[in-house]
Formats: sequence, structure tokens, C-alpha cells
Amino acid sequence: MKSKVILLAVMLSVLILPFSRVFGADDKADLDAVKTYLLGKANDLADGSKLLTESTDAYYELAKAAKFDYAQLWKDKQKEVAVAIEAAKKQWIVISPFYEQMEGIVAGVPSLSNYDAIIDASPSGEEDPDNAVDFTVDLPSGDKLEKPGALFNVLESTLWGTEPKYVSDAKIDVDGDGKIGFGDELPDANILKGTADALASQAAELLKSATAWEPNESDAFTALVVMVPTMSEYFGSWKISRFVEGDDATGKNFSVISRLSDITGILSSLQVIYDGVSPLIEAKSPEQHEQINQGLVDLKAFVEDILKQENDGKRFKPEEADIFGTEAQDRAQTITGQITQAAALLDITIQE
Amino acid sequence: MMKRMRWTICTVLACMLVLFALPVMAQSDTPQANAEQIRQQLFTVQSKLMLGDTTAATTAMQSASDLYNSSLKPIFSKSVPDVATSIDKGFKQASDALQAGDGLTLAIARGGIWTDFLNASSQLAVQAIKANDGKTAAEWLLLREFTASTKFSRPNSDATKAIQAFIAGDGKAEDALAAIHNDLLDSYQAQLTTSLANADDAHRNGFDLRQAEEVGLAAGYFNILASTYAEQRGDAALKQTTQVFNALERVAISGDKYSYELNMETVQAALKGFRAAPLSETDQARRAGQLIRFVDLVSIEYKRGIRDGVVVKDIEIQEATTFLEASTAAFNDISQTLEKQDVDKASRVATLLAQMKTQIQTTADPNALQASGDSIQTILKDIVPAKWQQVASTSDMDVIVSILDQIPLAVKGNQYDLAESARLEAYGLLELGMEQRLRGFAPDMAAEIEGLFWQGGTMPHDADDVGTGDGVTPGLAYLIATRAPLAQIKSTIAILKTTFVQAQQIMDAGKSTPTIVISNSAIIVFREGLEAVLILASLLASLRSLEERQFRRPIIIGALLAFVATGLTWWAANALLQTMLPLGERLEAIVSLIAIGVLLIITNWFFHKVYWTGWMAGFHSKKRNLVNGVAVITAGQMLGLIILGFTSIYREGFESVLFMQSLVLEAGLSIVLQGVALGLVGVAIVGVITFTLQRKLPYKKMLVVTGVMIGFVLLTMVGNTVHVMQVVGWLPINPIIGVNLPLWMGQWLGLFATWQGIGFQIAAAAFVIGSYVWAEHMNKGRRESKPAVKEAKEQKEQVVVSSVESHA
Repeated sequence: MKSKVILLAVMLSVLILPFSRVFGADDKADLDAVKTYLLGKANDLADGSKLLTESTDAYYELAKAAKFDYAQLWKDKQKEVAVAIEAAKKQWIVISPFYEQMEGIVAGVPSLSNYDAIIDASPSGEEDPDNAVDFTVDLPSGDKLEKPGALFNVLESTLWGTEPKYVSDAKIDVDGDGKIGFGDELPDANILKGTADALASQAAELLKSATAWEPNESDAFTALVVMVPTMSEYFGSWKISRFVEGDDATGKNFSVISRLSDITGILSSLQVIYDGVSPLIEAKSPEQHEQINQGLVDLKAFVEDILKQENDGKRFKPEEADIFGTEAQDRAQTITGQITQAAALLDITIQE
Repeated sequence: MMKRMRWTICTVLACMLVLFALPVMAQSDTPQANAEQIRQQLFTVQSKLMLGDTTAATTAMQSASDLYNSSLKPIFSKSVPDVATSIDKGFKQASDALQAGDGLTLAIARGGIWTDFLNASSQLAVQAIKANDGKTAAEWLLLREFTASTKFSRPNSDATKAIQAFIAGDGKAEDALAAIHNDLLDSYQAQLTTSLANADDAHRNGFDLRQAEEVGLAAGYFNILASTYAEQRGDAALKQTTQVFNALERVAISGDKYSYELNMETVQAALKGFRAAPLSETDQARRAGQLIRFVDLVSIEYKRGIRDGVVVKDIEIQEATTFLEASTAAFNDISQTLEKQDVDKASRVATLLAQMKTQIQTTADPNALQASGDSIQTILKDIVPAKWQQVASTSDMDVIVSILDQIPLAVKGNQYDLAESARLEAYGLLELGMEQRLRGFAPDMAAEIEGLFWQGGTMPHDADDVGTGDGVTPGLAYLIATRAPLAQIKSTIAILKTTFVQAQQIMDAGKSTPTIVISNSAIIVFREGLEAVLILASLLASLRSLEERQFRRPIIIGALLAFVATGLTWWAANALLQTMLPLGERLEAIVSLIAIGVLLIITNWFFHKVYWTGWMAGFHSKKRNLVNGVAVITAGQMLGLIILGFTSIYREGFESVLFMQSLVLEAGLSIVLQGVALGLVGVAIVGVITFTLQRKLPYKKMLVVTGVMIGFVLLTMVGNTVHVMQVVGWLPINPIIGVNLPLWMGQWLGLFATWQGIGFQIAAAAFVIGSYVWAEHMNKGRRESKPAVKEAKEQKEQVVVSSVESHA
């Protein structure tokens, strides 16, 4: 008898469970998870960038003591200088992905997007006067960097010397590998400290704004529609970076961490957002949800596969990078199109 | 028993697994999912072949082919057999290319297969709607592409919404069909444009594989639009364009760069003006506005390029031709709507546009061309919906700049046709408004702006500028036609905007500098104040005896009341002007004309001393009537004398207030008040010297000097008023060829190099001088014919001044 009851219960469960997905689908967005994810990354960035200032401060004090005579500085304080620079470089490598992993949210949400320009995305005034974010970095010397571009880019150019005006003239074997190679530069201590301080300050502000942010469905859909179809831009910067063009790279940025890695970070954050709003779409149109969800999964897998090949030592040619970029953009555009259709059906406004 | 139990549980669990898996299997088996998987497999084939892994490429090819044969082919073969045949050919072409290691052919085949999928899904969605099966239509519509989502535009969702409404029973089948049709045609035309631009981009970078891929896609997108293209251009044109696309595919494979460029050019020409999806109501209204503006511009440009039946300026003829082409394109876009209004009249417009083309080609008389244009405008007034006609007329600088800002957006989206349309629209607005004035007020600036819109500016900028090859900024027409990089187009637009600002300064030169406004108002106040002081002093001086002195008080009270009344008049005039401010520059023109009238009266008054002395004599006469033989002042006398004092001063105040309103409109109240204060200080000094210190001043000389200064003010004001009237279109603008006056001459002297401006200033000067000569002539005649009268009059005049002087 007991076994018959169990059997009946199991059979009933079997009958009910498959339909529960349809009838019991939770049609409410879960945006708390998006905010929790964002705050986690924003906290990491704020803490990490504060830690970065310890190394940049140390380097600045050393340079100041040497009256900013970098040749003399290296001569007198080689070990301390090397330690400070290496520590700063390592910390930059640690904190850069923190930002990339939340970039999809920060850049896509209109109320937070200005942080994206300042921290990670803006070109410098020299590169693109029209589109450079109007932002000034105050240097300890009292000078100012007007429209310097994204702070992560300025820091990268300063630490690894891809922008000659941000480093001293001295060519020095900083990493001690016996040859003067990529990154063997002594940064301009003023610029390094000023920019690192600015990053720490902006990261703290971003954390505050993220804490105050009250996510809504419009923000989430806007972030997806704005950020998903940006693949060609990211692949474009990868194509001209050192990872593809090598020493002849025309791009000054993305020389230390492959842009492909950034893209996977961005797609991760976009998946977090999509997971937040997917119940709404699934309830309205399961097929559309499946298409968007699978599209995002496939897109991320596509980029991860290229990144894996790159990490395994494959160096892609510019045309190959171009082909991959086009494919990624085509996929992204289709996903975005379906998201806009879903937003229209749900009557959710995509913000300008 | 236990065995049976276990078997039952296992069966149930298996069923459970199957049931759980069912939704997932169903979801992954949608047409879109299958098509996407095939597309991704084909990309794997391409990328593996590119990276030299032919084994992986072959495996992926097989997977793609198998999936197609098992999933989509049965449906396509049944419902869209032509497309199925094309896909089969595509797979064979791809397979052969893989075996041959031919990446370029593979890329083209891949593009063809994918766009065939899109074509099939479009047709199947339509078939499903016709079969009243909205759900299947919605399923097929998931397999589609969208226009690019940018910061400024999002893919539209008309088709999706229409199908959902149809499924819900809220929408009609024909509405859903129209929405699908328009949405998909619009999307695939945008994709066609993007693919062609991407192919060109790859061509420039030497990326052959990418170029082939984009060419394959472009040919496929065109195939989706083919039936619409044939409807609009005819079967022969479709056949010809299809052949060019095929040729483009061949040269993309062969790597013949020259032939590629040639065929690409032919493709672009064949697609020029083609619009697959009908325009929205808003877009149609905009095109109607363009048509109305552009038709006028054809004859305006043409006239500038023709002298005595000979072309003297090629560029103007080219511009006329461009505007005619743009007019024709705009007309074609809205012709269906216009035909609904009146098919015969719409047809007549088409005929007249063709006639204008012939007229330009045969170097016809400009008046004949204009007559054709006028005829079109007359017809358009009848058949263009009234609300569309309202879009046409404004020529605001902000509107021009906002249209210019659309150009980089269009270029960014590789929509060079749209960029060209925006350029022409911005230029059209400029040409019908600001440029007309600029040609009159600053011909050099007009030429510079025109150059920047067309083939190149006239002023050197960056040394590495390209386009005209002579170190000047390349023009937008050239840049758009040559599909120049975005940065270069943005650079020219930035220079154009800067030039606009300078042009605006020249337009504003009709407004005098604050200094000249202050000095003009000070001169007027001083002059009118001086007259008031003289009249008052004269009246008071003539009341010298002890008895008469009691009559001074009411006159002074009257004069003070006149001051108050002048203030009230100012307030009233200003309040009136505020209510009329919406008239804008037209109000400025009207008030300036009134001010000129006042000035002419003042100057005429000045030269015709007889009036002034008569005016003074009148006051004295009234005074005598009031005070003669009276020992004690009565209430009536008191009132009479107050009125005498009031009228003698208020007239000057009233004139000043009227004149000042023009300056207030021009420069603002605070600036004018500074001049008023300065003038009043001068009057006060004269007043103190005359009344309090009782010193003698050279009044006659002062009147002469201020009179000459007012003559100067008059000429400046005439120049500025003519300028304002030209700006509002009340006077024509005919530049004096070869004369370029500097900006400061406009701001300080009201001098602008137009025949109207200079002509009216000369006329005003002639009037003043003529008035003087005539007055002198009259005086002389009077002196000669009536020496006694003359003597008496001179005596009377002498009384006026000497009475003041003796008082002092």
C-alpha cells in the first residue's frame, strides 16, 4: 500500500513538474541580483584602486626625493623603484578585470554611464576631441591633465610606457630580465600618482552611486540594448592592440590584458542583467527568451574559444581578428534585435 | 512484486526524463535555432579553413549540411522551393570551395545560404499569416535580422507587435502583413547598405576574405529585395542589377581590384534612390518639405551660373543639377501619396521635373527654368497635404546645425545616401535664408560656406587636407561622394559650424556696438534736452519784472510734469513693445522706421529755423496772452501756464522716447539707459549753467554741432534699418560686386555693401542736405522779396536766442 502511495506521488510529480515551468514561471524581474553583483565588483574596484595608490604614492615619494631626476632615481633607489612599479603593475592587472566584469552594467545604465567614460571608455581629447569625456586629473605638481581619456588607459600607458609623454626618457630594465623590452620604462611620477588617486576617487564615487542606484526594468533593458551590440568596437581595439599587431601595434591601450578577456567580462555582466529580466521575457515569449539566452551563451563561448586559442599561443592576423569581430557583432546585433522586440512587447522603455 | 515495483519506478523515471527534456528539445528545434546552428557551423567551416584546420572545417561542413537536410530543407522544399534550390546550390558551392581550399568562394556561398534562410523565413511568415496561423508566423519571424541598434535609433518592433496583435485577435491579417513587409524590407535594405560599406572598408584594408563575405551577404540581401526593386524599376533593371551583383561576387573571388571598384560603383548607382519600404508619414512630410525647397533652389543656382545663354560658373550648374535630382528623388518618394490627391497633377509635376532637366542640359533661359519651377510649386500647393507644407519654410541656424549633425550619424551607419540628403537639406535651408543675406553683407563668407557644403572651402586649414588638392578644406559634397572617413567629415562640419558663428556675427552687425548705441542715445537726449532748456530759459527770461516772476512757477511745474509724463510715456511705449516682441526683427524694422521719421523731423526742424523760431514765437505768444496786464494770477492762468510749460518740454521728451525704443530693441534697456544718463548729465550741466549760474553759453553753436551729430545718427540708423528690413525680407538684397566692407563699418556706421543700404543712406543725406539748401533758398527768397518781413523775422529769431542769452 505504502509503495502504491509513493508510486502515485511520483507519477503525479512527473505529470506536474514539466508544466510547472510554464504555469509557475515567475514573471517578475529579479534585479536585486544585478545590484548585488554590481556592488560586489564596485567594492572590489574601490578597495583595489585604493591599494594601487599605496604603490604609486611610494613611487612618487621616491621620485620626489630624487627631485624627479629619473636616471638618478634609478641609480640610487633601483630596488625600491622596481618594487613600487611592479606592485603597481600587478595591482592594475588585478583591478582592471573588476571593472570589466561590471562594465556591461555601469556603461549600460544611463545614471552610471559617465563613470564608464571616465574610468574605462573615453578616448583622450587628443585622440577624439568631440567624444572625449570632459574630465580633468589634478596632478600633485599642480598641473592638470585636461581630457586625458579613460583613467585605466592613462595608467596603463604610464606604467607600461605606451604613451611616451607619460614616462621619463630613461630606458631602464625595470623587470630585470636583462633586456630593454616592453614596459621597461620609468613612469612620470606626477602623472602616475595623479591618475591613480583620481581612479581611487572615481571608484569610491562609483561605489556610492551604485549603492544609491535603484535598478528598474528600463535600466536593465537599456543596458542590454546599449552594451550587447558593442562587440565590433571591442574587437576593433583588440585588432589594433599588441595582442594582434605585436610591436607594431597602432593602439596604445589593451597591451597588458587582452581585450578578448575584457569582452568575456563584459558579457558576464550582461548575462547577469539578462538573468535578472529573463523571467519577464520567458513569461511573454518562451521561444524569444530561449533565443536570447542561447545567443548570449553562444556569444560568450565564441569569444572564450578565441581567447583560449590566444592564451595557448595563437597569434591572430588583423584580417582574422576582423572576421571574428564581424561574426561577434552579427550575433550581438541579432540578440539585441530580439531584446528590443521583447522590450516592446513588455512595454518597457529603452532610454536614450 | 519487488521486480515489478522497480520496473514501474524505472519506467516512471524514464517518462519523467523524457517529459523534462521535451520542452528543451522543442526549444532547440525551432527554425531559428536550427538556422542559427547551421550559420555558426558554416562560420566554423570558414574560420577553421582560414586557420588551416581542414579536418575540423570538413566536419563542421558535414554537420551544417546534415542539420539543414534534416530540419529546414523539408519545409523549404515544400513551401519555398525556389529558395530551397538556391540553398542547395549554396551548399554545393560551399562544399566544393572547401575541398578546393577556396576561402573566398566559401565566404560568398556562406553569405548566400544565410540570406536565403532569411528570405525563406520572410516568405513563410507571410504565408502563415495568410493561412491565419499567427503562431507559426511569429516562430518564423524569430529568424530574421534587424537594423543596427545605435545610441540614436533602435530596431523598430512594428512587425513583432502586429503579429502579437494578430495572434491575440486584435489585429487584421492585412495590417500584420503590411507591418512585416515594411519592417523586413527596411531592415534588409539597411543590411544591404551596411554590407556594401563593409565590403568597401575591407577592400580598402586589403581584407579579401571579409570583402567576399560582405559581397555575398549584399547580393543575398538584394535578392530578398528583388521583387520590390522590380516593382519600382522594372524587370529589365532588376536583371541588370542582379547581373552586376553576380559580377561583383566574381571579382571578389578573382581579386581583380579594378573590376571590383567598377562593379561596386555600378551597384551603388543602380541602388541610388531605391527605397524598398514605404516612408512613414513623418518622413513623407519631410520629403515634401525638401521637394518644395529644392525646386526653388534649382533655378536660383542655375541663374547664378548662366550669363547671356552661356555657362559662366560650372559649380552653380552642378548645384542646380544636384538639387533637381534631389527634387526628383523627393517627389518619387511621395508620388504615390500625391497621385492619390490628383493623379493628373502629380503626373504633371513629373513631366515638369523632366522638363527642367532638359532645360538645364540645353542651357535654356533661366527665366524659362524658373517658370517650370513656379509651375511645379503651384501644383504642389494643390496636391501636397497642407500640414506637410508647413514643414518647409524655416531657415533657423539651429535647424541647419541640427540637420548637419545628422550627417556623421548617417555616415557612421554607412548611410551615405542619407548623409547626402541631410547635407542638401541643410544647404537648402541656408540657401533660402541666411545665404541670401550673407551674399549681400559678406560675399566672401558666403563663398566660404558654399565651398564647405560642396567641393571645398576657400580658406586654407590643415596642410594635409585632401579633396580639392590645393590645401583647402574639402567640401561635404566631395567627402560624402567619395565616402570619406567619418573623422574627415566631422572635421569639415566643425569648420562649417565655426564659419556659421562668424557669419552670424556678420548678420548681427546690423546691430550697432553698445558704444555707438550709448553715444547715439546720449546725442539725442542732449539735443532734445538742449532744446527744452532753451525753450524754458527763453520763456522764463521773458518774465523778468517782479509781477511777471509769479508766472514762472506754473511754467516750471508744467516742465516738471512733462518730465514725469516723458517717464510714463517711456513706460507705456516699452510695455507696448513687450507685447509686440513676437514680431521679432520685423518689430525692430517698424520701430526703426519710426525713429528715422523722428530724426528726419528733428533735422528738418533744425535747418528750417523758421519752424523752430515760429514754435518759440508761438510759446511766447501764448505766454503773452496768459500774462499780459494781469497783476494777480488766476486759476485759469495757472493751468494755462502749466500747460504751456508742459507742452514746451513734453514734445522733446516724446520725440526722445520714440527714438529710444528703436535703440532699446537693438541693444537692450541697460545700454540705452547708460546713454540716456549721459545725455541727461549734459543737459543738467547746461541747465545748471543757464539757470543757476546764469552764465552765457554758445547756444547757437551748440545747436549746430548737435544738429550735425544728429545727421550722423540719422545716416547710421538708415543703414541699420535697411539692413534689418533686408534681413526680414522687406527689401531685396543686391550686393555691390567687388566691394567688401569690414565688419566694424557695419557696426559703427551702418554701412553694408548692398545697393539698397548705401542707396538709402545717400538718399537720407540728400534729404538732409536738400532740406538745408531748400531752407536757405526759401530764407533767401523771403529776405529778397520781403525785406521788412525778413527784418521782423530776424528780429524775432534774435529774440529767441538773445532772450536766453540775456537771461543767462
